[in-house]
Amino acid sequence: MLKEVPLIDLQRKLGGNIGEFAGWITSMDYGNPLDEHLAVRNSVGVFDVSHMGRYIIKGKKVFEFLQRVVSKDLSKVDEGFMSGPVLLLNDNGGIKDDIMLYRIDENTWLAVVNAPNVEKDREWMIKLRERFGYSKEDVDIEDVTTKSVLIAIQGPKSLDIMDELGLSFVKDLKILQFVKDPEILGGKAFLVSRSGWTGEEVRSHGFEIWADVELGAKIFEKVVKLGAKPAGLIARDSLRLEMGYLLIGVDMNENTNPIEARYWLPLSLDKEGCIGCDKVREFFSKGVEKFRIGLRLKKGIRVIPRHGSKIVIEDKTVGYVTSGAYSPYLKRGIAMGYIKSQYFYLGFKVDIEIRGKVYEARIVDFPFIET
Amino acid sequence: MGDIIVKTKVGEYIVKDDLLYTKTDEWVRIEDDIVTLGITDYAQKKLRYIVNVELPEKDSEVKAGGSIVTLESVKTVADVYSPFSGKIVEVNTTLLDEPDLINKDPYGKGWIVKIKVHGTISKEALLTPQQYADKIKKEEEK
Repeated sequence: MLKEVPLIDLQRKLGGNIGEFAGWITSMDYGNPLDEHLAVRNSVGVFDVSHMGRYIIKGKKVFEFLQRVVSKDLSKVDEGFMSGPVLLLNDNGGIKDDIMLYRIDENTWLAVVNAPNVEKDREWMIKLRERFGYSKEDVDIEDVTTKSVLIAIQGPKSLDIMDELGLSFVKDLKILQFVKDPEILGGKAFLVSRSGWTGEEVRSHGFEIWADVELGAKIFEKVVKLGAKPAGLIARDSLRLEMGYLLIGVDMNENTNPIEARYWLPLSLDKEGCIGCDKVREFFSKGVEKFRIGLRLKKGIRVIPRHGSKIVIEDKTVGYVTSGAYSPYLKRGIAMGYIKSQYFYLGFKVDIEIRGKVYEARIVDFPFIET
Repeated sequence: MGDIIVKTKVGEYIVKDDLLYTKTDEWVRIEDDIVTLGITDYAQKKLRYIVNVELPEKDSEVKAGGSIVTLESVKTVADVYSPFSGKIVEVNTTLLDEPDLINKDPYGKGWIVKIKVHGTISKEALLTPQQYADKIKKEEEK
């Protein structure tokens, strides 16, 4: 069943070309996704990311529960901070999802999960709750996705927009820090954070606001009026790819382990007692058969490597592409994929086979752009 | 008559009343034995923003039902088919630098090729504007 994001009418009014992602009807672009991408890199853009799944997790055992469920040591996450990406691993150390946790206090956390997994992740957590012997009072997981909207304001001029919204205090927030109940445009939002998924957040140029639907609509419209370019999921995808951020279900899945994905950020390798963590340590000590890499086509080449395109060295297939995009910032096609570990030739050129034709590409590390 | 604007739950699509259409979402304008061909507003909206166009050589031969052009959008790749056999007499090379002309002006500056058709032109396999509008509605309501 397809659902419309709550702000769909406003998106349409702003010129949104709508489409479907993970069961949601939302804007893929607002006319020119390349301009939207560049607005985020050079000025400021605004995304409605209300399709992202959101849970409130609360109860007296939540902290110890989450410590056993995710790959990262949460004792390092202070109150009022987000965890950064953390992994939900299966028992084999495969990646079920990467999610973001917000520590309100020890017993109250928020989670943002990927849209395709909003039901699966909750079912998995409930299964683990039973396995660990916790009660619903110990750990309650409520899906609140449809009760609010999530707006991302991203780009070097994002702070100006936040100023205009009366949120000048956010300049003092650290990356991944959030503030609850901020007053915005005469209403009260749930929270505002210094974060995002475009790469601008690591330059301190990204903010996200959670609000109820009515206030969210007001904020989105106002932010556009203040000069932010409305941007859709296509620009969001090319921006995340430039940063080398992995997309669940495309660049990683339950058969991918975080070592071959080189997804080190959400891992605390020395952490004991979490689901899948022993297996990850095993992969780490044994070694892996493939590695995730970036691929840059030559400047001016507008061909886009696609999921499944082969990486070739002298007619021999040595890997495959998992996602590709045209980067208007680098003016070329870029991609990520996996290559057999004995061919992990960072800096060297290989070929990518796209629709029967061969294109030269350089193997590079992430991100593709300087931050 | 005037142009038809097809409104569905998903979007709005313009169907020009002075053109004929194919089942594979091309439009054609027939002038004597020369056929100008492009893709429809509906097709460009489904494809989304086009970043790359692979055009045929001028003077190359095309077969009815054969692929003549590959369009690459941010989302996917699609072939453009010729409804007639003939020779490519003109190619819109402006598209190499500005492939998004197909998005901005699919029935005008976004035309793709002109074909000199071999033999007589049969319109039987083509759709009238109203038939094409009905096809879009049917597809969108699936």
